[in-house]
Amino acid sequence: MSSDGHEPTAMTFELLKTAVKDGGARLGRLAFPGRRTVDTPNFFGLTSRGVIPHVTPDNVEKHLLTNGTYMALEDFIERPQQYMTRSPPVYETPSPNNKPLQSFTAMPSSIITVLGSRRLPAVAAPMGNTNQSISVFTSTGFQAITTKQYINAIQTLNPDIAIPLADLTHKTSAPTSKRALRMAERTDDWIKEWFTEMYGRNKEPSKIATFAPVLPISYSIQWEYLERLSEEHQSNPSVLSGLAIYDADLIPDISYQNLDTLPRLALTTPSNPHQVLRQLSLGMDIFLLPFLSTASDAGIALSFTFPPPPSESSKLLPLGIDMSSPEHAISLQPLTESCTCYACTTHHRAFVQHLLCAREMLGWTLLQIHNHAVLASFFASIREALADGTFEEKARQFALRYEPEIPQGLGERPRARGYHFKSEGPGEQKRNRPAWSKFEGEKEIENKVADLRIEDEQNGTSGLGSGVDSVAETPLVPDKNADAKDLEEMGFAQKAEDK
Amino acid sequence: MSIVQRMASNKASSAALTFELVAKCSTTRARASILTLPHGPVNLPIFMPVATQASLKGITPEQLEATGCRLCLNNTYHLGLKPGQEVLDAVGGAHKLQGWKHNLLTDSGGFQMVSLLKLAKVTEEGVRFLSPHDGSPMLLTPEHSMSLQNSIGSDIMMQLDDVLVTTHPDKARMREAMERSVRWLDRCIKAHKNPDRQNLFCIIQGGLDLEMRRECCREMVARDTPGIAIGGLSGGEAKDDFCNVVATCTELLPDLKPRYVMGIGYPEDLVVSVALGADMFDCVWPTRTARFGNAITKHGVLNMKKEQYAKDFGPIEDGCGCPCCRPVDQEGAIGVTRAFVHHNSAKETVAAHLLTIHNVWYQLHLMGGARDAIIADKFPAFVKEFFNNLYPDRKSYPSWAVNALKNVGIDLFES
Repeated sequence: MSSDGHEPTAMTFELLKTAVKDGGARLGRLAFPGRRTVDTPNFFGLTSRGVIPHVTPDNVEKHLLTNGTYMALEDFIERPQQYMTRSPPVYETPSPNNKPLQSFTAMPSSIITVLGSRRLPAVAAPMGNTNQSISVFTSTGFQAITTKQYINAIQTLNPDIAIPLADLTHKTSAPTSKRALRMAERTDDWIKEWFTEMYGRNKEPSKIATFAPVLPISYSIQWEYLERLSEEHQSNPSVLSGLAIYDADLIPDISYQNLDTLPRLALTTPSNPHQVLRQLSLGMDIFLLPFLSTASDAGIALSFTFPPPPSESSKLLPLGIDMSSPEHAISLQPLTESCTCYACTTHHRAFVQHLLCAREMLGWTLLQIHNHAVLASFFASIREALADGTFEEKARQFALRYEPEIPQGLGERPRARGYHFKSEGPGEQKRNRPAWSKFEGEKEIENKVADLRIEDEQNGTSGLGSGVDSVAETPLVPDKNADAKDLEEMGFAQKAEDK
Repeated sequence: MSIVQRMASNKASSAALTFELVAKCSTTRARASILTLPHGPVNLPIFMPVATQASLKGITPEQLEATGCRLCLNNTYHLGLKPGQEVLDAVGGAHKLQGWKHNLLTDSGGFQMVSLLKLAKVTEEGVRFLSPHDGSPMLLTPEHSMSLQNSIGSDIMMQLDDVLVTTHPDKARMREAMERSVRWLDRCIKAHKNPDRQNLFCIIQGGLDLEMRRECCREMVARDTPGIAIGGLSGGEAKDDFCNVVATCTELLPDLKPRYVMGIGYPEDLVVSVALGADMFDCVWPTRTARFGNAITKHGVLNMKKEQYAKDFGPIEDGCGCPCCRPVDQEGAIGVTRAFVHHNSAKETVAAHLLTIHNVWYQLHLMGGARDAIIADKFPAFVKEFFNNLYPDRKSYPSWAVNALKNVGIDLFES
């Protein structure tokens, strides 16, 4: 397909093989001109503020093995208190190839960009949505964004794929049937506006691929909305390029032939590969996986393969390995056997273990690279199995051989109280224990922190992760739990004769 | 051909190092040389970034290599605590631990010990301190420091010295520290197990007392270590005093050995110190300031968190060749804008990583530029341009730099 502007949307999606007639896992290929082709099932990287956490854009290109990234508009539109009237800088990004979102985030041009409204998972807003707007959560607090503003933002930022607004609660409990009905009605109203504004009769049709949301409510409540999607797509295929699905169990219910051939993007936040496999069996094509960064931040190197390795033992295999554990301190093994990622081919467990214990940021970077590689190879093997008809058997083995959940990890996490973490209310314990400080005398540390705060304020650098953090960033005095014998064993010093 | 003083014999070797003097500035004392270490050659003058705990703050060894770095620091004190000597021995040293194919330099651990552990006490035997946990007395000796640095396997290791702040008022204590440092060097030389593959550098002490510094130079030079460091500086002394000490020492040091001024990192300090005849420098400042959102540029330090950069879509520094700043159509370019760094400063670690890459590149490139100028015998012009870029108004040139440079033949006010 040409990319010279004659085609309304440049995306193509080809279904290569469908395993079972009604729903069921399927093999496909998603392509945008100038981007890496995505064989499906597959996954896209999940960004925070436009970056894959801990991974610089050059390493995304070279080492991350992901073909697409999901970004959230709420990450770009904060209004700092002193500059309430300023428009978000991202909208003014000059971009030679007219891809401002990509230019702003320095995302490599080979990578597909998906833009949605909220982070994944999103923090529930206290004030809820209205008929014309949704609540989003920025680094400077909650704000409303109207359907009109959202469409303008999408048209300005020009991602490859855009997800129209959906009326969602972002709460774990299911909405009441009254609320669910309103969700469907609002989302239906909003998609009408979307189609008109993006592809309307008197407009130059947008080249952005629309992945329409499918709500996490029962089919019977949203059938009118889905009916509309099908009809609009029937009359003009270019208005709809895919579905963004919030609940995988709805896939079998969506029995519109013309929607079946669209790629399906999961906004379902599965928490482990078992759930991925299940949703994939229902016919999901592309996943966004928050558990990847969560595992990396917790010091976990994911360790599963598809199918599981052969083994006599009946003991369940772990889905991940806690790299902060002292057992890896002198291990020159790669993070996982046979992994070919940058972290595994150039470094070893001992280094990652050291970095995690020393709270050096590189530890999380290497784990991100590794964990993305594990998922890339997981999906590659799944596609092979789908192609040769062994998927169901291998998926069964996987379910039997692996533990149900990814281990928690005892490693200290980076920046564990960022604004986008859900607070559990007042009195919440810090997740990381305070590092080192006490020995110097609390008073002194307090003074030091106060000094740095002043320095920060003078430099205009107060905020997260600045000077105050740096006090704890590099441990300066021996572990307060290390007794003289430990230090002696470490060769650091010897016990002195009493004098 | 430019007027470059060629030495009749311009090369000296010791067991694990070769020093080749390539050119000397015909005006100042600046030198360009090649230092060949066990993990390859490095061009001097050089800035060495500090990978305190075997990692340069979030960037991969591959990214560090891409900045052109071929010699970086690890801190003995930190590696001694984590991962500890046993692990270092088992893994096979710090190069293997961090996957770094190039050269490493380690300090002795004494500086951190004294400055960070308030309860430490320096005695002739070594540094005494109380174990933080059980309160039992501990002792860190020159022998321990050597043993740890041998386990680390650094290409350049530093002697344990008795460090005092240069502004220490007690002259007798200062003399004691200087003389003790000489005695400790002898103990370090004796305890050093791998002189064939690791270089031990001495450290000249003596505070701001130039006569004491001269005496220390003579003692240290007599012990013929493969390289020589000037220590105790950058501890809050006046910049004029700093320059006097560096100039006094370089005057007495042999031509064919590398000279390392410890703990120096501000661009002005580097350029002036090169003019005074120093070759090697290290400092945590460029990488630490990156984590505060600061970018080092030839026009000064810019804080990317400031509102003025929120919509600045230019590179971090115009014309910079680092992976962040170089034009996007070039190989390995990332295409980072100031606006993007602003967007994520103090919010995502990636912003700090990008500024770290830029700042390290800036420092290495600054020294590379000085080296090229020395070889072309255009170093005075380089120095003038550097100060002109940094201070658009000549009246704000720092007087310490003006004076120090005048003493080696550069008049910053002459056009």
